[in-house]
Amino acid sequence: MLLKSSSVAVAKSRLKTLLTSDRVCCAPKDYDNICRELFSSLSKYMELAEDDFRVEICRTHILITFAGDET
Amino acid sequence: MGEVIVVTSGKGGVGKTTTTANIGAGLSQLEKKVIVIDTDLGLRNLDVVMGLENQIVYNLVDVVEGTCRLKQALIRDKRYESLYLLPSAQTRDKTAISPGQMKKLTSELKEEFDYILLDCPAGIEQGFQNAIAGADRAIIVTTPEVSAIRDADRIIGLLESNQIKDISLIINRIRMDMVRKGDMMTVDDVTEILSIPLIGAIPDDEQVVIGTNQGEPVIGLDSSAGKIYLNICKRIMGMEVPFADLNAGRGFFARLSDVFRKN
Repeated sequence: MLLKSSSVAVAKSRLKTLLTSDRVCCAPKDYDNICRELFSSLSKYMELAEDDFRVEICRTHILITFAGDET
Repeated sequence: MGEVIVVTSGKGGVGKTTTTANIGAGLSQLEKKVIVIDTDLGLRNLDVVMGLENQIVYNLVDVVEGTCRLKQALIRDKRYESLYLLPSAQTRDKTAISPGQMKKLTSELKEEFDYILLDCPAGIEQGFQNAIAGADRAIIVTTPEVSAIRDADRIIGLLESNQIKDISLIINRIRMDMVRKGDMMTVDDVTEILSIPLIGAIPDDEQVVIGTNQGEPVIGLDSSAGKIYLNICKRIMGMEVPFADLNAGRGFFARLSDVFRKN
């Protein structure tokens, strides 16, 4: 009973993928490619660690964050 | 100068019409002059929810086409000080009016009313385009379900690209028993995903169904949804109203057992 994962967690993770692909009109796997390519092109100009690099697709803009930028 | 607010959701059946009727009644109780317009051509419902279906003579299309004067089509809700309904046409379709005509109509109404509430049809086709054409702000109604949230996100994107930036969120039909079990998304979950300001979280309340059966708004009644609708109206008017705890009324032991369940 305690180990049963809640259906909310499933709903949230499905929505996350769904909204990302809806917002840019691309397939969910394209999102991974977008992240990878953005990382590789940005890392030509600045020092980036893959773990600290995040791309978030919002409705009207794409947010790129990496460690050291916020804080 | 009044404000035009469109109530929309994308998905059907989440409670747009009920929300429009109750907010309309509530704003009128708060001494505002309000008109609610049913923009769902061919599937008119706002009149039935408000219990005014027997008083319809003319409708929105008649006004736009000039068959009658605006005043002739307005139905006054006698239970309230200043609440009017402009009903939709049941025998016409979405193409009977254009976004330009809606814009013209709403700008005329702004002269006379404090709030013009538009009950938007489901979908993103012309009916939606008509409804948002003259809107200054939008209220998104959603339920804590994947399909409704997905549609809401899409609608928010479309509103933003149509230069409607003032968008607020109402989460409808929350079942606290399911939320506590981890089987329904919380208000915070939904607000975070859609990332627009929340103006109301409405529990699934039997009184709303009963009210719709009777053609009576629940606003102001001694029901949980009625009280929350009134707070939503105050927030629409720009007042700061703290959010009620949907768990209120549950005893100490019930809350204690929630703590254990979460672990």
